[in-house]
Parts: sequence; C-alpha cells; structure tokens
Amino acid sequence: MIKIPTKILVVDDEKDFVEMLSLRLNETGEKVTPAYSGKECLDLLEKDNIDVVILDIKMPGMDGIEVLKEIKKRFPLIEVIMLTGHGTTETAVEGMKLGAFDYLLKPADFDDLSEKLEGARKKKDEQEERIRKAEAKLLSRKTGGVF
Amino acid sequence: MENIRLLLVDDEEDFRNIIARRLKKRGLSAEQAGNGEECLAMLEKNQADVVILDVKMPGMDGLEVLHHIKKKYQKTEVILLTAHSSTPDGVEGIKAGAFDYLTKPVELEHLLEKIKQAYEKIQRLEDKEKEAEFREKMEQQMIVTERLASLGTLATGVAHEINNPLAIIKEATGWMELLLKKEELAEMPRKADFEKGLGKIEKSVERARRITHQLLDFVQKHDSALSEINLEELVEESVRLINREVVNKDIEIVRKTKPSAGNIWTDPYRLRQVLINLLNNAIHATSPGGKITISSSVLSHFQAPACLRSQASPAREQRKNNSTEAVELRVEDTGQGIPKENLKKIFEPFFSTKSPGKGTGLGLFVSQGIINKLGGNIEVESEVGKGTVFCITLPRYHKTEEEPEKNSRPDFWKKLGL
Ligand SMILES: Nc1ncnc2c1ncn2[C@@H]1O[C@H](COP(=O)(O)OP(=O)(O)O)[C@@H](O)[C@H]1O
Ligand SMILES: [Mg+2]
Repeated sequence: MIKIPTKILVVDDEKDFVEMLSLRLNETGEKVTPAYSGKECLDLLEKDNIDVVILDIKMPGMDGIEVLKEIKKRFPLIEVIMLTGHGTTETAVEGMKLGAFDYLLKPADFDDLSEKLEGARKKKDEQEERIRKAEAKLLSRKTGGVF
Repeated sequence: MENIRLLLVDDEEDFRNIIARRLKKRGLSAEQAGNGEECLAMLEKNQADVVILDVKMPGMDGLEVLHHIKKKYQKTEVILLTAHSSTPDGVEGIKAGAFDYLTKPVELEHLLEKIKQAYEKIQRLEDKEKEAEFREKMEQQMIVTERLASLGTLATGVAHEINNPLAIIKEATGWMELLLKKEELAEMPRKADFEKGLGKIEKSVERARRITHQLLDFVQKHDSALSEINLEELVEESVRLINREVVNKDIEIVRKTKPSAGNIWTDPYRLRQVLINLLNNAIHATSPGGKITISSSVLSHFQAPACLRSQASPAREQRKNNSTEAVELRVEDTGQGIPKENLKKIFEPFFSTKSPGKGTGLGLFVSQGIINKLGGNIEVESEVGKGTVFCITLPRYHKTEEEPEKNSRPDFWKKLGL
C-alpha cells in the first residue's frame, strides 16, 4: 500500500530541531516543509498546500499562541499540533481552546507524534469531505437536479 | 485575672493582713513580705506580676526596692503606697518606673482598679511579644519559601533549556535509526554496532528527559493550576518522594489505591504537597516496624465516607446537595497517635509537639488551607498508642471562579489527559 504523504509544516526557532524532525518525518514518508518563525509559517501557508502544522509555542517574536490564532482565523481547515514545555499546561489548555488539534510535551515521543499527526490528518480529510458533499448538494439543487 | 501573681510588701503586718484578706474576698490571693530584703528574696524564687509596695519602710525603703525590681524584673509592675503627706515620693517612683502610686489609707476599690490596670498593661505587652514572635516565625517561613521559589525558578529555567537540545538529539537519533532500516543500507558493514550505539543514545535521552520533567514537576510555580490527574499516579509519586526516609526507618508503606478512583480535576502540585505533609507526619509518628497505609476510593454522594461517619459534616451535606461525585484519600499510620486535647489544635499554625529543629507546626495548617481551597475537607481520627487516620475528601471536579462551565466539557479534558 502506498501511503499518501501528509503535508506537514514544522515551525520552531530551533533550526537544528526543525531540520532533524523534518528529516525523520520525511523518512517515514511524510512531506515536510520547515519554518523558523511564526511569520515564515504564515507566509508559507499562503503559498503551500499544508495539512498539519507542528508548532512550537515558545518562540521569540510572534509566539506560538499568536501564530495559532492567526492560522485558525485565516486557514481554519489546517490542523495544528502544539509543542509545549513541560509544566506549561495552561498554555496547552489555552491552545486547545483556540482550536489546536492537540499538544505534545517537548521532547516528544515519536510514536505519540505519529499518532497525533494521523488523527489530525484524518480530521482534516473528513472535514473537507463534508464540505465537498455540501457543495455538491448545493450545486445539484442549483442545476435543478432530482429533488 | 484570678491567676495574677501578687506580692504585698509592707512593714505593718496588720495592714498587710487586712489588705490581703480583702483582696482574697475579691478572688485575688497575694503573697506577703515584711520588708524590702524579704521582697527581693521572694521575687528571686517566684516572680510576681504586680508588687504592691509600701514606700516608707525601715531598712531598704520602697523606692530602693523599686529600683532593684525594675532592674531585674522588667515585666513586673509596681504599685507604690505612699503616706498622705509625701506625694513627691510617688512622683519620684513613677519616674523610676512604678506603674502608679496610691496614698494611704488605701481604698480597696482604688487598689483593685490599679491592679487591674497594671495587669492589663502586662497582658498587652505579652500579646505584643507573642505577635512579634509570630511575625518573626512567619518571616522565617517566608524566607524559606522564597529561597525555594528562586531555586525553583533557576531549576525550571535550566530544565527548559536542556529540553531543547534533548529534543534535537532525540530526533537525530530517531532519524538515523530509520535510515539504518532502509533497503539501501541492508548490507552495511557493522550495522549492529551502529544500532547499539543509537539505542544507548535514545535510552539516555529518555533518562535525561525524565529528570528534567520531574524537576519541572517538582518546582511548579505556586499559583494554582488545575488539571486532570490520576489519583493512583499522584500517590505513587508522593510515595517515591518520601521513600528514602521510609526505608531508613523500616516502615512499611501499603498502597490501596483503586484504579476506579480514576482521575480528578484539581491542583496536582498542591495536592501532592498535602500528601507529602501527611506522609511525613506519619513517618515521624511511627516507630520502626510500623505501617502506613494510603488508600483512595470513590464516594458516591450518598455514601457516608467511613472517616466521617461519626458526625454529619457540612461538607458532606454540601456534596449531597450539589450531588457532586467525590473521592477520598486516607493516610493511616500505626504510630503514637494524638492525645485528645491536641486533636483540636493540630491544624493551628505553629502547633507542634516536635523539637524546634524538626517541626514547624505549619504542615497541617497549610494542608488544611490547600484542601479547603480545592473545595474539599480534611479530618482526623486518632487513638493514642494505636495510630492516626487523616482523611481527605475532594470533589472530583473542582471548579474555581476563573474556570467557567464551558471549559469542563469532558471530551475536551480527556484530550488533555496528562
Ligand atoms: N500522623 C500523626 N501522628 C501523630 N501526631 C501527629 C500526626 N500528624 C500530626 N501530628 C501532630 O500534629 C502536630 C502538627 O503537625 P504539623 O502541622 O504537620 O506540624 P509539624 O509536623 O511541623 O509539627 C505535630 O507536631 C504532631 O504532634
Ligand atoms: Mg508536619
């Protein structure tokens, strides 16, 4: 079976981390784009087609929570998995309230990450499927399809 | 005022006896001395609160005695008795530190009034002293707390900083492991060696990660943060933290936590602090060979918790009304027990039966404060020589004002499951 790659954007100001996680995820068959700041993340989302964003919460400049808000406003269908420091549960809670799919403590367990990526991807697919169906219905009504 | 220690000093025995008898009738007993030397000798043995002192005495006169008293016993108040004609003596006396003076012949009501005032002054001073002592203790406690807090800040910073490079090492290792599994590397020489090395790195990263997470756990910042926690894990963690003392003392710790007690929504760090306080107390009270049992169970709101069965408690009534599910945590020891007369006092701040270096008397006070804040209740039952049970009941979902209803959607919290 050929795996359909999930298009992932990894956002962290730690360049080495982004690079290593990207290489690892690519090796498991995903398609990863790196970003090193909140701004770069948002710019890339404008251009590229992304399914899931893995987003570090603690970044200089625009922090993860701000980026998350912006993503949810501008690209509501894109799912976000947050990377948080241990003991910052409040931030995780805030992120979940703002619509993040889930969160992981840094350093995260790779199996956990894979599982959550799959969940996020599935959620996004289903959401898109529903929208497609709704649109199809709308279209068939407009064109006077069978009632 | 009945237990006030009075000393009556006058060279006229008849006068002393009359006054003493009258005071007695009003419920005050006074010691007597016939001259200055005798007075000082008596004070040497038993201090007095108030000395009623005649000024005109053969030998050492009243003013001289007053000087001695004020030099040696600052807390003792002196009421001088002067002859009608010698007001200057009285004024002199007050300058030298007497509380006041009365002129002879003495009216009992006046004397009583003066004694009362002097006694009140003494009590005011004592209260002030106690307050100062209390404040000093509090300040010391604050210093300790602050020191811990700044240590915590440092440790937290370090732990966070270390987590980032750890994450990089971890991903790099995982990546290389993936590469080794690729077909193109199937025939790689000494592949097993590489795999072994990577395995070791991975394990060590995991170990370091555990340490940083524990450190971050332990020094959590102090403002309340609620989260969902597993009771069993909490108990496990607390026991681990006090384990060394237990092993040293040869005390057995039994855990009777039921998995069904499950998760509760509360402040994990504070609750753990309470558990550790209770466990430490139990360890202190238990002799080698003894046993400490920690148990947790679920209370449906209708069932009276075992440890509260003796009387209706307001907290239980409340639970009934709100029909909130509650959990119970018990810490039971086979230690020395708590005497009845102390049971009421143990939750007071600074009440401790331990030597100053060992006990602060704040453990239970703080614990009760925390538990009440978390919407729960802490109770104690004890029998001297047999042991003690501390019993905490907590609502399963504790809501604070800042946590509005909509935030407690169950599926939402399940996702956060820590
Ligand atoms: N499990 C116990 N068994 C016997 N006595 C206890 C127990 N727990 C508390 N006490 C009594 O209550 C007092 C107050 O406890 P606490 O507030 O923790 O202060 P501290 O432990 O510093 O003395 C103790 O000094 C002790 O006399
Ligand atoms: Mg204690």
